[in-house]
Amino acid sequence: MNDIKSARPVPKPNTFVASEPFWEAAQRGQLLMQYCVESEKFQHYPRPVSIYTGSRNLEWRPVSGRGTVYSYTVTRIPAAGFEGKVPYVIATVELEERVRIVVNLLNIAPDKVKIGMPVKLCWERLSETINNPAFEPA
Amino acid sequence: MKKKDIVIAGYSETKLAVKTGRTAYDLAGEALASLLASAGIKKSAIDGFAIAMPLSEAPNPFFAPLMCDALGLTPRWLQLGGMGGASTIANVQRAAHAIRDGMCRLAVVMGADAPSTRMAANYGGYRGEFLEPTGIQGPPGMFGLLLNRYASQHELKMEALGKIALTQREHALMNENTLEKFRKPLTMNEYVNSRMVSEPLRLLDSVMFCDGANAVLVTSAEYAKELGLEKVVFPVAYSEVTNFNCDQATPDITLSGFSLVGPEALKKAGMTPKDIRMVHPYDDFTIAVMMTLEQIGFCGTGRGSDFILDTDISYRGTLPLNTGGGQISCGQPGLASGGLNLVEAVRQMFGEAGERQVKDVSNALVTGIGVIAYARNWVVSNVMILEA
Repeated sequence: MNDIKSARPVPKPNTFVASEPFWEAAQRGQLLMQYCVESEKFQHYPRPVSIYTGSRNLEWRPVSGRGTVYSYTVTRIPAAGFEGKVPYVIATVELEERVRIVVNLLNIAPDKVKIGMPVKLCWERLSETINNPAFEPA
Repeated sequence: MKKKDIVIAGYSETKLAVKTGRTAYDLAGEALASLLASAGIKKSAIDGFAIAMPLSEAPNPFFAPLMCDALGLTPRWLQLGGMGGASTIANVQRAAHAIRDGMCRLAVVMGADAPSTRMAANYGGYRGEFLEPTGIQGPPGMFGLLLNRYASQHELKMEALGKIALTQREHALMNENTLEKFRKPLTMNEYVNSRMVSEPLRLLDSVMFCDGANAVLVTSAEYAKELGLEKVVFPVAYSEVTNFNCDQATPDITLSGFSLVGPEALKKAGMTPKDIRMVHPYDDFTIAVMMTLEQIGFCGTGRGSDFILDTDISYRGTLPLNTGGGQISCGQPGLASGGLNLVEAVRQMFGEAGERQVKDVSNALVTGIGVIAYARNWVVSNVMILEA
């Protein structure tokens, strides 16, 4: 069923910047994000420097996993590897820590999703080593 | 601040077609030969060359010099544009700088791409690790997020987006370079009922990849005269920004870089939006057209729907918009897309637009957009104002 061509893409850690702490914490069900120590702000996706200061003084810190839907889209024509899943919801979630993440919104019918609705972190296991963050209604 | 020392003194464009089996090189050759013939100049006179990085040749880091080799060009100034759909007008501006600085005298600014034949681009970076595992359907997915957020903050009328699609289709029917597939009129009913791609974004809000090439000739006003190039337009003002608001964690994503560069370019030209006679906004999606018009200042932020519905945006109207049909209705020739709207503006200003000719072509505003960022708006916004 899952031939190579249509397999769902699974994240490969450390392909962009050193992201191992993110995926290691994800294995334990904990969501970490980069935190700029100097400006005291989070950022996501992980960057090689702070987007606020340009410094590399970044730490991985846990976030609450609580947030609201900033925007969402209901995918009707699937990306490769998602053929059996339509319709599926992709949302930009704004966390309490004032940082946004683009995720799948699970456990809700597409027509029930509302911008501004509270959501919480959940996980989707994509492989033995990859536990991917997703969100669901709070 | 307005300068009238540089001119666009010629243009060319190939027909657009799907899965031609051709390469960016071959399409570029057709655009070059056509440009030389229409301008009546010799290849040896070309001493500057700029080209947009195409999707179809993306893995080749030596694309620009090898393209020159394929075309038999020996430029003394060479530029590869990596700003996606913003590359062509950005390259016109860079050519102007090079000409003013004495690097070259006569530059060809080109786009050529064949993504419907060969899609070779890989955006790489963080996407495979942090974005693609969601199954987001590329740019339509990202624009779906943008469109939905816009709709939650502002009054979005579907029939306004539909009017953009319908008007551009009407224009495309008069453009001989339009894709075969789009050579039939479009009704509001067909628009509304077109397939949802990434809700609330419809298929007919979007572009379709095709193959094609386009080019313009950039030189000094003085040299154009010497060469006997009589038809010219002046790129009098230009502004660009990359990564607007990228150092904010939670920006208002409905604000794009056009809110900065639109008013700035108008100021450089000594104009207000009311002075603009026609607009050729980069149109990868209908919502991009609406947001671009708002943020340049044609109407207030969030007032785009009523502005579109209350304005005659046809080639006969008060603000003719994408009179060639734009990418939405002609087809998007990959990253040669940035030249499509520019070439139409120049063609109109040369008085060569045939049955869709706009009456008052004393100026035109052209825009570009390049790539869309993670959880934000598009990355590059640029504006060029042309004067007759």
